[in-house]
Amino acid sequence: MDDSLFDLYDREKLLLAEGPAILERGIESEIRAFAERLFERFARVVRENEDLTRHSDRQEQRLVKLNQNLKTQTHELDIRKTELENLSKQLAKYLPPQIHEALFAGNHDTRIATRRKKLTVFFSDIKGFTQTSENLQPEALTEYLNEYFSEMTQIALAHGATIDKYMGDAMMVFFGDPETRGVREDARACVEMALSMLERLAELQQRWRNDGFENPFEIRIGINTGYCNVGNFGSDQRLSYTIIGGEVNLAQRLESNADVGGILMSYETWVHVQDLVDVEPRGAISMKGIARNVMTYGVTGRKKPHQQPSYALRHPAGISIELDTAVLDADTKVKLADQLSELADRLRAGH
Amino acid sequence: MSTATDLQIAATERTPEIHLSASTGLFSMKGESYPEDVAAFYGQVVHAVEQLPTALAKPLEADISMIYINSSSIKAMFRIFEGFEAVRRAGQPVTVRWHYTDDDDIMQELGEDFKDRFPELSIEIKAN
Repeated sequence: MDDSLFDLYDREKLLLAEGPAILERGIESEIRAFAERLFERFARVVRENEDLTRHSDRQEQRLVKLNQNLKTQTHELDIRKTELENLSKQLAKYLPPQIHEALFAGNHDTRIATRRKKLTVFFSDIKGFTQTSENLQPEALTEYLNEYFSEMTQIALAHGATIDKYMGDAMMVFFGDPETRGVREDARACVEMALSMLERLAELQQRWRNDGFENPFEIRIGINTGYCNVGNFGSDQRLSYTIIGGEVNLAQRLESNADVGGILMSYETWVHVQDLVDVEPRGAISMKGIARNVMTYGVTGRKKPHQQPSYALRHPAGISIELDTAVLDADTKVKLADQLSELADRLRAGH
Repeated sequence: MSTATDLQIAATERTPEIHLSASTGLFSMKGESYPEDVAAFYGQVVHAVEQLPTALAKPLEADISMIYINSSSIKAMFRIFEGFEAVRRAGQPVTVRWHYTDDDDIMQELGEDFKDRFPELSIEIKAN
């Protein structure tokens, strides 16, 4: 037999091919011999077919059983997945959402490791909380406090904040890690968040008063931008993703020095948001661990939208000056006037 | 390297490992069998086995240990076993050992089918 001619049914096909000529010749003895060979081959093929069918049925039964097992396992996996999703939702309430997402995506490093990074840190605290809590029934206090934190947290998350912790009636959040939009945008998002919180709190205060909460919560806010140590602190058994450093303490100090219902920020934050908010200087403070005196600014309100610069100059030569004199102090105005005057003299002299 | 009556075929994902030596009288076949082209794969094996009645130097001992085998491959194996029958009829003793994994009732029952189909051969069904 030639390999290339091999066919699983070659002998049957050869036998069948002989048939027409034998029948054509019509020789009875030859037809009888052919019929015997045909019968023998047919019987063999039937037996083979029986064996093959039986084997095929067994394989099918195994497949059906495997399929049933697979369905059972898939069902069990679905149940397990739902359990894990529920667990994940519960855990999410105890973790900053960015960390929670990164953990479940497998992108978060849980080793003890920290790094220095420029962040904008926010502190808020309820004024006279101890006294306020003494004047309320515990159930009412719990209800108002939960509502306050829920509303503030929602605003914080909407602005992309990382919620570090709640400490009694205080709240500490920061911008710039694990995700950052750049130092300037982080600072602006933080101040926008603080303004939104105060605006929402004013609405809540009105409703609480209507509900019989005579002296509703009022808060102070402190914001600072500076280099902090951020990352996982603690031990291998228990980690806390948080920030530490003098700049963090400064944000807390700013909060304690802020007006009730107001925001006090450091110079480092103010430089990034001076076109967003009106402020008044509040003098310098010093802090242990920070070498410089820190200028502070109290926010007096949002800048009005579309506020035009108080002076604008445009020249076809491509020169454009927009000047908001409201943000310049007296010394800066004098220095700027001297520089512009010198420039004017040089232009007149033909230089 | 394979010759007309000696085979050294390595296993692939779809085809079994097959060894045959006419000088030692040893045949073995092990693995899974669902070749894309059954005729192409088994043609060489059937051809070698059909040479055995005149080429075999010693009694034939065949060890077959399959994990999975499709229907077309079984049809080819009928031809191989028919070759074994021819060796037996030519006067050489033939021993076939059909191995199956302990809990694999499909391969066990297939071995028993072969035993019923080829009563002239000495076929042992052995659980591993």
